[in-house]
Amino acid sequence: MTVLRTRGVTVRFGGLVAVENVHFAVEPRQIYAVIGPNGAGKTTLFNAVTGIYAPSEGVVELNGREQVDPLTKLMVLRFVVAFVSIGIGTAIAVNIETLWTATIVDHYTFAQPFPWALAIGEFWSTLWNMPRTDSLIPLVLGGAVGCAAAFVSWWRGRRAPDHIARSGVARTFQNIRLFNELSLVQNVLVGMDHRMRAGFLSALFRLPRFFSERRKFHAEAGQLLEFVGLGSRADNAAGSLPYGLRRRLEIARALAGKPTMILLDEPAAGMNPSEVVDLMALIRRVRDAGTTVVLIEHHMRLVMGVSDRILVLQYGKQIAEGTPAEIRSNPKCVEAYLGSEDHG
Amino acid sequence: MRWRPGPIFIILALATCIPLLDQILPVELQLSEAVRGVFLYAILALGLNVVTGYAGLLNLGIAAFMAIGAYTFGILTCEIYPFQLGFWSALGLTIPIGALAGFILGAPTLGLRGDYLAIVTLGFGEIVQDVLKNLDVVTKGTQGINPLPAPTFGGHEWTADDEYKWYYLLLALLVVTVIAIRNLERSRLGRAWFSIREDEIASRSMGIRVERIKMIAFATAAAIAAMAGGLSASILSSTGEPSNYDFQISILALCIVIVGGIGSIAGVLVGALVMVGLNSIVLVKATAWMAAHGIGSQGNVLLSPNNWKFLIFGLALVLAVRLKPSGLVPPRIERAPQ
Repeated sequence: MTVLRTRGVTVRFGGLVAVENVHFAVEPRQIYAVIGPNGAGKTTLFNAVTGIYAPSEGVVELNGREQVDPLTKLMVLRFVVAFVSIGIGTAIAVNIETLWTATIVDHYTFAQPFPWALAIGEFWSTLWNMPRTDSLIPLVLGGAVGCAAAFVSWWRGRRAPDHIARSGVARTFQNIRLFNELSLVQNVLVGMDHRMRAGFLSALFRLPRFFSERRKFHAEAGQLLEFVGLGSRADNAAGSLPYGLRRRLEIARALAGKPTMILLDEPAAGMNPSEVVDLMALIRRVRDAGTTVVLIEHHMRLVMGVSDRILVLQYGKQIAEGTPAEIRSNPKCVEAYLGSEDHG
Repeated sequence: MRWRPGPIFIILALATCIPLLDQILPVELQLSEAVRGVFLYAILALGLNVVTGYAGLLNLGIAAFMAIGAYTFGILTCEIYPFQLGFWSALGLTIPIGALAGFILGAPTLGLRGDYLAIVTLGFGEIVQDVLKNLDVVTKGTQGINPLPAPTFGGHEWTADDEYKWYYLLLALLVVTVIAIRNLERSRLGRAWFSIREDEIASRSMGIRVERIKMIAFATAAAIAAMAGGLSASILSSTGEPSNYDFQISILALCIVIVGGIGSIAGVLVGALVMVGLNSIVLVKATAWMAAHGIGSQGNVLLSPNNWKFLIFGLALVLAVRLKPSGLVPPRIERAPQ
């Protein structure tokens, strides 16, 4: 099954078209490179795939399914529940003085036993018998606000980056975004978070489940740091790492969620030649471990050396797509990178 | 691995000795009554620390949740209402009700950050006070709700004379709060809080459900603050009037967190000791001492140390931010367990 397919993806910012009508498909266990001059729209394309931006037009498919979730029956039920509960809550809150007087004040005499059943009955009958404008208007307005809020949160969440990450797409960032004050292990553990199941209560009361999960994931995080060659620094703060190693940590953090696909945004930026060679080996090892790799890169030796297929963008448009050999012999691509002879 | 006592443990262990120390000290130097206030504010500031320190969401309305806790406790226990629960069950109920209030504030503010969130929480603090003031059918308006019960153990209720019992009860609840927050901090949830404080977009891209995590932070902070409110109402035997839970309380809690160390439990404890200690121990004792020795005149308010408190709070805040921006006891990067 195709891991990632875009159909006519266009991203506009006001009048500026950053990405225009891009079609490409990434097959499982490929290393797929996106190249192009600065400002060609490569990172914007990544952001559209990972949900940071919504494509203005076109469709992104992940693992054969559309990136955007359809509206399910469960969701509709949630909207109804939000309407009813927040509506009733608002109606009670607006009339709290009347209700309190009718139920508590009218039935309670100091130091006498309180007739609970009577008071509760009185509560509902007061709510029911009050002028319809007092009860129905807040009910409908409050319910509508609650329902709208539930809808908006669903609408935003169905393409949100967290949702897409949980479906198996991980990424790194061009301008490295690590959690600098956390240790290396903790950075990796954040990447694993959506695979963990122990919740609030098991953490609060330190239930056995918490310990078993902690043991399992700490061990796995340690292995992952070994895999990218950072095992000896597991307890250092991420902010203390030298630049070249930060990219490795970002890759480890992205791999931590066991993604089917990992997007690397300029992984070789700022690396010296020997670090680039190490990085190429690392990218191949990631692919060999079963993860599809999509990368943005300017470093041509790396791109030509590891990629199975390459997509070339210029000014947001797709100008070529093919194997490294095809791209290398494509005059349009050479021109995009080196400039045409006319401009001399 | 050998266990070594951490700063939190040392602070709390020293705190257990204060009532014993009081036995041998002269009356003017006894501390335990004033230290109770330190404990109460430490609990409140620990709650604030969850939302502001861990999750990085500036909350200027924490006193509102304290008010909600105090009034919940008052309504559930006072004899003028039919509920009349005991101390323990009412205090227990302030926690879920505070959490619910936290959810109600948290839900509409999820998209906000930094200054905007601070303004909304500030407004929430004012709204809660106004509601409590004007909803006098339920809350008795500015009179406050009283009398409220003290804790009972084995069927007998404490009185004001049981000073040390109060002291150890507050200390015990502080210890429970510290343990609870430490357990949350060193878990998946704590890591998620730190990650959204550090970089929200990155944590979202790692699959952290930012909205949910923020809501839990709000609700946890509110629950702890509400418990502190219930406790303070019980100590005073009254909720006091709504304006007792005003912006000053929120700011004091924030100062404790900033001076002590944002995101550090030991820092919050030290911060509470410094800020509240200054206010209710050093300044009070200094005023008494000066009065006893005839220094300063009764007429000149500027010469009474009691009136210096806001000057000193402001000074402490400026000094802390200038000299130790990460606080007196900054948080440490967690060593991996095992």
